[in-house]
Amino acid sequence: MSDPRLGVRVFTREEIQRRVEEVAHEIDRDYRGERPVLIVILRGAVYFAVDLTRALTIPFDLDFMALSPFRLGLRRAEIEKDVDVDLKGRHVLILEDIVDTGLTLNFLVRNLERRLPQSVRVCSFLNCPVRRIAEVEVHYFCFEIPDIYVVGYGLDFRGDFRNLQEVYALYDPSGRSTQVLKRMGKGR
Amino acid sequence: MGNFSVITVSREVESLGDEVALRLSRVLGYELINREQWMALLEGHSPALSPEPPEEEGERERWMAEVGRLLEELAEKRAFVLLGRGGQKLLARCARAFHLLVVAPVPVRLRRIMERYRQDEVTASRILAEQDRQRERFLLRFFGVDWRNPLHYHFVLNTAFYDVEESCQLVLEAMKRTRPPSSGQQESFFTREGFLEKPVVFSHPSEEEFARILDFYGIRWLYEPRTFPLEWDSEGNVVEAFAPDFYLPDFDLFIELTTQKQRLTWRKNRKVRKLKELYPEVKIKVVYARDYEHILRKFDLEDNHE
Repeated sequence: MSDPRLGVRVFTREEIQRRVEEVAHEIDRDYRGERPVLIVILRGAVYFAVDLTRALTIPFDLDFMALSPFRLGLRRAEIEKDVDVDLKGRHVLILEDIVDTGLTLNFLVRNLERRLPQSVRVCSFLNCPVRRIAEVEVHYFCFEIPDIYVVGYGLDFRGDFRNLQEVYALYDPSGRSTQVLKRMGKGR
Repeated sequence: MGNFSVITVSREVESLGDEVALRLSRVLGYELINREQWMALLEGHSPALSPEPPEEEGERERWMAEVGRLLEELAEKRAFVLLGRGGQKLLARCARAFHLLVVAPVPVRLRRIMERYRQDEVTASRILAEQDRQRERFLLRFFGVDWRNPLHYHFVLNTAFYDVEESCQLVLEAMKRTRPPSSGQQESFFTREGFLEKPVVFSHPSEEEFARILDFYGIRWLYEPRTFPLEWDSEGNVVEAFAPDFYLPDFDLFIELTTQKQRLTWRKNRKVRKLKELYPEVKIKVVYARDYEHILRKFDLEDNHE
């Protein structure tokens, strides 16, 4: 990619594929004999959800949720698209693209728990615990990332880069992201 | 009736709230303000006000203040029953207003829809779900309230157990027995969403914005609720202290927000380190400028800050 807004490549297609399959095996193992409801959080998690669900062998129901984005003028988050299935007594697995502040996910988990599911767990492509504000437990994740802004594989910057098959850091003119990634052994 | 010249009636779909409001207005001789009267009232105002709250937040705040004033002035002159329209929020501060919520269980409301509109259960349940959702969204979007929260009301009535006449008698009895709120008490009862006693004066716009983000996700917060002494002189006087910006009770977490460049945060970092040494049980997170930029970028707000 030659877009000047992109910085270092963080995860290759192969790395992503390998980790997604490993996480799918974990989910297969943990939900053996069950039929969980997988709730994909629109829009970023779609790419991850497609690859993850293809790698699963357990039966599952797939549904989608969308939360209103934070914007000036809207006082409270709203569920813009809700699931169609009844969650009472079901095992729910939320599929997210990234968990960083935890604010969105905390809201969703509280909302879903009110519907009396048997369990609610979270599976995220990326986990960024250093940015966490609201407490949420991420039960499954493919990669833990430091405090950098990344795009690709569903993650966007102002609507761009979602369709990249690899994950890149957004270009950081201060060079900080590059240094952090170098310490992780990532970099060009 | 008693201390109240106004009754606001919030109601679930097919909860008999409309019937109760009409009956109350007749029994008490109060004017009923339903949708038609509401439109006439606002359009007749000078300058005319739109019957619905505007989408844009600044305009909406002005609209709410103006409509609230109009209703409070009206309450001085006339007695009325206000049906819906977010009356419980618009008149939250009005000591003359009695706030009533009328509810009924879903099966009861479903049966009422099936009977009233001669619909099958599937159609009736779809109508009910859709109308419940619309009502919930209207109040959440424009007034920022979870309207089913009983704490917004003096009295909550479940009409599964009472007919319209009995319901009215109960409301009248409740109105009679409701003690007049002491000065400022009513405002505190009906307008406090979080833990705050009074409006907050933030020392930085970023703090205000952060608070709005927390509000958006329903996370309760307190602003600078506690000051931690960090250093004392030989006589025991506090010579250095630190008051983190936010406390999030749900997570037992203090948040210190700083928009300073990283290299200028050493003084704050030192205070945080000290705080952690002296109060190891206290959980604190510093949100640095770069963290805050991430948050703003995530919420597409950074253009407002660059």
